[in-house]
Amino acid sequence: MDVGTVGRRVRVAVTLVLAAAVFYGTLWGDDDDFPVGPFRMYSTSRELNEPVGDTQMYAVNADGEEFQFTESLSGMRRAELEGQLDKFEADPDRLAYLAESYHDRYPQNPPIDRIRIVIEWIEIHDGVPTGKSSLEEVVSWQR
Amino acid sequence: MAEVTSNAEPTTETGPPRGLSDRSMRWLFSAVPLGRVAAFRTLAYLFIVWDVLVYSEAARLKSTVPTELYVPLNIGQILPFPEPTTLVVHVCFWGLLILSPIAATGVFPRLLGWPIFLLYFEWMLIFNSYGKVDHDRFAFLVALALLPTIGRARHGDKTMSEKAGWAFRVIQLAVIATYFLAAWAKLRFGGLEWLWGTSLTWAILRRGTEWSDWMLDHVWLIKTSQVGIITFELMSPIIFFVKDRFRPYIVGYFYLFHLITWLAITISFAPHLIAMTTFLHLERVRPLHWAKVGFDRVRGRQRRPVEPVTESAG
Repeated sequence: MDVGTVGRRVRVAVTLVLAAAVFYGTLWGDDDDFPVGPFRMYSTSRELNEPVGDTQMYAVNADGEEFQFTESLSGMRRAELEGQLDKFEADPDRLAYLAESYHDRYPQNPPIDRIRIVIEWIEIHDGVPTGKSSLEEVVSWQR
Repeated sequence: MAEVTSNAEPTTETGPPRGLSDRSMRWLFSAVPLGRVAAFRTLAYLFIVWDVLVYSEAARLKSTVPTELYVPLNIGQILPFPEPTTLVVHVCFWGLLILSPIAATGVFPRLLGWPIFLLYFEWMLIFNSYGKVDHDRFAFLVALALLPTIGRARHGDKTMSEKAGWAFRVIQLAVIATYFLAAWAKLRFGGLEWLWGTSLTWAILRRGTEWSDWMLDHVWLIKTSQVGIITFELMSPIIFFVKDRFRPYIVGYFYLFHLITWLAITISFAPHLIAMTTFLHLERVRPLHWAKVGFDRVRGRQRRPVEPVTESAG
């Protein structure tokens, strides 16, 4: 066949190293260990009365118009905003980079003067949404 | 070049297996036809085109996002991967967009395969280094890393190859690890409470569709679905222990699971779905060959001389 003794040993070693890395990631690693981090999609548990947060970002341009600062406008996905939320809260000036990104992508549009990140908290009772929700502004930046 | 290989049995050694070690080695290197490699190669490299244009568009958007917002993963800090400047994002984007369709034809499997793997890996570091890591690409990354090790493979080639067999087996293991270890991660991060919590409610409220919003009023259905998901993930390795003829049905069930997930919370796991085709007899799917045969048949019919018509002198 087409795999010699050395080739076979190398392939077995590669298999074992890869398996060990993935098991390590699953047992002790975290997302930072990509590509062998734990497969933790939707892995955290949620209480039956725990509100569900939906993070949104809004921007105000130089003309005073406010609009939702979506992924295609800002360059950041919702989950990325949530992943860096503590950094934005610690240093709101980091939001200026998103205004810069927008201006690079849409130089013909009025520049952005203000950005705010809000979380819409959707109320849950015994696992069922009550239909009520509230908005919490978590961080904002003004030019 | 693909070395000459056996044309008959999918196992490599002759005679009955001797012990567990021998049995494991035969399983790990169980040969597959090179035609399957060619088909998978075409599929995987063509997928990259759609991936960089549509599916992982968020990485392309980073071309204008200042690198101050880049939070490198551990591997990005250990190995000398560049920061995703505008130039780096464009090099990855255009490199993948140009090289992948060429590689999909099967030419220069190593010369194109390795750069594509590196470009795609960097593309993934860009995609995952801004605060969110996706978990749907492990098996696909393994596939891109191993495809170049197989070498040349022609469509329709029935030659059996152990090199290909090993690569396909490892890709399959990566596919199943994604399921099985996901259950493990749920128990590690969420605990047993994950089963009777509202993780799925959370997902539907954030990403739900008209196909799933109605589930929100039925907590018992949410909890049953969560138990079903973990059960499915823990049982997924069963695919390696069933007879060949049952395997496509199990793979079909896996695809059905992802179809339902996509309808419910718009998460498709597309790269994973591509890697999962390594469980199937892909070599039997030959659209270009069928088109050629069909075309030849039509042309042959047109060229056939018209039979002389003899008129009866009635």
